[in-house]
Amino acid sequence: MGKRDTARSSGPAPQLSPVLFAGFALRPLPLALLQPILGVAVRAIHQRHPDIFERLADLDGPVYLVDPVDLPFRFELVPDPDRPSLRALAEDEDVMPTATIRGSLLTLIDLLEGRIDGDALFFSRDLVIEGDTEAVVALRNAVDGAEVDVAADVLARLGPLATPAGLALAGARALFSRAAADLETLRSAVIAPALRRTESHEAAIRGLEEKLASARPTRRARTGGP
Amino acid sequence: MTTTPAPEPLELVCPAGTPAALRAAVDAGADSVYLGFRDETNARNFPGLNFNRRELADGIAYAHQRGAKVLVAINTFPKAGNPGPWHRAVDDAADLGADAVILADIGLADYAARTHPDLRRHLSVQASASNAEAIRFYHSAFGIKRVVLPRVLTVAEIASLNSRIPVETEIFVFGGLCVMAEGRCALSSYVTGLSPNKDGACSPASHVHYEEQGDTLVTRLGDVTVNRFASGEPAGYPTLCKGRYVTAGRASYLFEEPTSLSVVTMLPELARAGVRALKIEGRQRGRAYVAAVVAAFRKAVDAVARGEPVSVDGLAALTEGGRETAGAYEKTWR
Amino acid sequence: MSAPSLTLGPVLFNWPAAKLRDFYFRMADEAPVDSVCVGEVVCSKRAPFFEPHLVEVIERLQAAGKEVVLSTLALIMSEREADQARAVAAAAADGLLVEANDISVAALLAGRPHVVGPLINVFNEGTLAYLAANGACRVCLPVELPGESIAALAAASDVDLEVLVFGRLPLAVSARCYHARSHGLAKDNCQYVCGEDADGLPLETLDGEPFLAVNGTQTLSYACCNLTAELAPLRELGVSRFRLSPQDADMVAVARVFRDVLDGAADADEADARLEGLVGPMPFANGFYHGTVGASFTADAGWQGPVE
Repeated sequence: MGKRDTARSSGPAPQLSPVLFAGFALRPLPLALLQPILGVAVRAIHQRHPDIFERLADLDGPVYLVDPVDLPFRFELVPDPDRPSLRALAEDEDVMPTATIRGSLLTLIDLLEGRIDGDALFFSRDLVIEGDTEAVVALRNAVDGAEVDVAADVLARLGPLATPAGLALAGARALFSRAAADLETLRSAVIAPALRRTESHEAAIRGLEEKLASARPTRRARTGGP
Repeated sequence: MTTTPAPEPLELVCPAGTPAALRAAVDAGADSVYLGFRDETNARNFPGLNFNRRELADGIAYAHQRGAKVLVAINTFPKAGNPGPWHRAVDDAADLGADAVILADIGLADYAARTHPDLRRHLSVQASASNAEAIRFYHSAFGIKRVVLPRVLTVAEIASLNSRIPVETEIFVFGGLCVMAEGRCALSSYVTGLSPNKDGACSPASHVHYEEQGDTLVTRLGDVTVNRFASGEPAGYPTLCKGRYVTAGRASYLFEEPTSLSVVTMLPELARAGVRALKIEGRQRGRAYVAAVVAAFRKAVDAVARGEPVSVDGLAALTEGGRETAGAYEKTWR
Repeated sequence: MSAPSLTLGPVLFNWPAAKLRDFYFRMADEAPVDSVCVGEVVCSKRAPFFEPHLVEVIERLQAAGKEVVLSTLALIMSEREADQARAVAAAAADGLLVEANDISVAALLAGRPHVVGPLINVFNEGTLAYLAANGACRVCLPVELPGESIAALAAASDVDLEVLVFGRLPLAVSARCYHARSHGLAKDNCQYVCGEDADGLPLETLDGEPFLAVNGTQTLSYACCNLTAELAPLRELGVSRFRLSPQDADMVAVARVFRDVLDGAADADEADARLEGLVGPMPFANGFYHGTVGASFTADAGWQGPVE
């Protein structure tokens, strides 16, 4: 977690709350406009981390349904090694995914950026997995190996110095600027509680460890005799 | 006045399932990193995990530049009639400059000893060499230099063993705990057809099913219900030996609770028992996990080397179900 | 092709010494088996109870024309266990055939003809060749080995291969005693509770499905291996030895079923029907042989040759 550059977001972090998301939802970002952003995001990740897709090549063309329960969208991810796609689904749109991954946006971003490991995935109930478990494990392993930093990856592609041809596809540079700003807002909203959570977590762990450390010698002494 | 030479410091052997995890382990202070190729030649043949040849070459370069070693696990049992992938794995590990290979199969150890006599050979825990006679056999037959001890021995037994064998010993100190003698367990293939020995996967994800039944989460492996978790209860990956079963009308974790091995506080004792290297389990776990555990153990091992007390920071959150055990190292576990 | 023979594997369970003695006496007198394994494989703590009967049992079996094989411990951890194994291995000098179930015993038997048991991992021709050069004259293969691998091994080596064709499948060994654990006891004070379950302690899933059987430190399948339909294809591959792993059932009758199938006096369907009456509630399993889920049972189709 140490590598994260938190200095980038200045000022108090916004609360990751329904209000924040209502804000995103209210500034009308219809699927038609969201879709190009997703396209850029997945191409950015594909370009910067081709090994993710290569690691998934052994699977039989998996389709993932990613369902952030606190967002009004669901996403369909097809990690094709040559032409990956990420698509926001209309509310009434049905897909037949290989696997579904459901959780809060925070949990899903933790997963994407490698803060949740393969086993912990199953120990906590924060993440719900349905369908082909192998496909989910493969995606988790592939992503973990790639050191994805969503905001950095996408911003690198959107930034003024790296304006790729892909932007023309979207046709609306203003929209991307806004999306980038949204992403930063979202990101600081996501990171602040994550950091807070980590700190309190570590305190709790230290307490537990101290207890364990003091309990252990007694236990051994009692059972160590001939 | 005579001085006894200072014992060599304990070697910290750390897992890497991906190049990112390898870098995380090396950066966090690993002395050695162990890993496998992306196929059935190693016992963590999980989807999306492990190294291709180019990644191994890069990983070895990264580790060597920073003074760390790379050990390649080729620790499944070659398939009859098709030893090629296993032989190539040994050949490529040798050619790419791996510091050692970790082997379990007698035939493969024989191949490695004959074909690459200069390639250092370690005996995998999967070989289940649990006594001096067995270890001496692997030493004299195949020139094994180090044995990874099965997780079935007590510290007293390890100390006694170390006085009677001509090779180094490496033991597991943290991570997932096999309850059964490793390499001698067919529970997974009994239920899925795939086993650690043949296929490099125990309780493979391809056969895992999670099912929400109301508030209850049911975990299945193949057709077998391995556990049910009430709402709010931490769930586990459905490894068969960590499941909940019924004997004489009573449900219990008969084999083992969902718990992780952690013996960080026993390190001084283990050092006195003559152990040479400490192994952290978890090639299937993420790079964040690897970084945290390796850093904690680096501190602990350095403290032991200075004769200072060992402190533990931040390991419990990384253990299965948040619970830990000293496992077989304490006799009462049996 | 050599004439097919039947081996009675070691009794894996903790039967009272008198029952075990009488069991072997009856096997000597009545069972159509050629070879009989005697000796404790699972737990060193059990071994002393049968020792007083060992000589008379061996003599009775030999007098009946059976070959006697001394089986040894599967998991050797302590010096005491190593001594126990060394003592048995020493019998090889007296001309008795010893079966190694841990590689340390195979090492002790180097240069002398011996048997490698199913709890040593022989998965490929490289290992088989090494162990044969070490003196193994017979290898009983691990239970999870598929027919395809058995075929490759049989084609690659002249060593006698033996395949377990009946009984609960030995799936795992551990340092931990699950029998003691199921009774809330420590292993050191186990009170030999494993003796209460002559076929092992059945273990069910939370859905009430029978799944495994616990035998002290060993874990077995709940299902009973039944390879009667696979005997013919195994014979075709060149396997001529078949192991029956004793259950608390009429093992003389079980041996007769397999003998009849080998002699062509019964087909697999008849054999299955007869076995069903002998093994009680245990379902059959032959999935390992077919390279699939070990617990599964395919009623027909022996291994039909390599799949291209």
